[in-house]
Amino acid sequence: MKLRVEYTAQLRTAAGRPADEIELPSGSSVGELLRHLASHLGDGAAPHLLTSEGHAPRSLLIVINDTAAPAHEAAHRELQPGDTVLLMPPIAGG
Amino acid sequence: MLPHLTPDELHRYEWQLWVRDFGEEGQRKLKAASVLVSRIGGVGGTVAMQLAAAGVGRLVLAHAGNLRLDDLNRQLLMSTEGIGRPRIEAAEVRLRALNPHVEIETVAENISEANAAELVGRVDLVVGAAPLFTERLLLNREAVRQGKPLVDSSMYDLEGRVTTGNFPCSARWPRPSARSRPWKRSSSSPDSDSRWPVGCYRLTSASCRSALSLSPADPTVRCVAPRTHPTPEFPRPKD
Repeated sequence: MKLRVEYTAQLRTAAGRPADEIELPSGSSVGELLRHLASHLGDGAAPHLLTSEGHAPRSLLIVINDTAAPAHEAAHRELQPGDTVLLMPPIAGG
Repeated sequence: MLPHLTPDELHRYEWQLWVRDFGEEGQRKLKAASVLVSRIGGVGGTVAMQLAAAGVGRLVLAHAGNLRLDDLNRQLLMSTEGIGRPRIEAAEVRLRALNPHVEIETVAENISEANAAELVGRVDLVVGAAPLFTERLLLNREAVRQGKPLVDSSMYDLEGRVTTGNFPCSARWPRPSARSRPWKRSSSSPDSDSRWPVGCYRLTSASCRSALSLSPADPTVRCVAPRTHPTPEFPRPKD
């Protein structure tokens, strides 16, 4: 299935682009998407996508089709074909 | 009882009194309202300026430290001649000059364990614009405890975010990780352009309980509905 993944802040910097079209097996979960991205986007992005234990981090906000949830709560959610997933690591600049 | 508007105020706010669903009653509610702005730098200073111009009744501003030369690319309440002097004093002078009808209280401190409860307790609405996660989380915690709505915003390069409503369980708010980017003055770009829309959206989104994400590179404003708890209603003055 195809997904659209959009990056913000540090993830956008690490990816070097604002978005990707991703192909994943049907029934893939948010956690599987994060592991896929961590292995494809490189070392700069991986720490924002997975904890050192390989789990979805509390520090990442995941927005699926404009509904938000912390990554560690959404990790087991099954993604649907055509979903748009926005990844928002926390920022604090004022 | 909502405060009345003087002839001078009616004249000053004439253009916004024409706005549908705002009008004179909306202006009187705004005059009755009080807002804490945590830090009055690039983001918070813009918020304070807009709130003062719009005619909010009382502003409580909290910001420590003296003005530096490299603040002036974005801190629009400041001026070059104020370098080396307290930022909070310059902000007060500028805001009083902008709108003398607004009551302004200044605190030359940043949000801390020592002052958060007292400062949040002074106002109806809390605006967080601090560059440090510790201050933002502390402000959220205190806003939740006191049942005050929180509008929080932040920026990263040319991206800006606004979050309205607070998060009753701090676990609902993504916690910064060791890799989360803290305030980093040395890499601050000339990004006033990103702070302006952040500041303006703070004003307009104060009641919609959502998170906005906007970027000049992608002018679409994302409005993200939180999946989690409802937030307290904005306190309505008693008629």
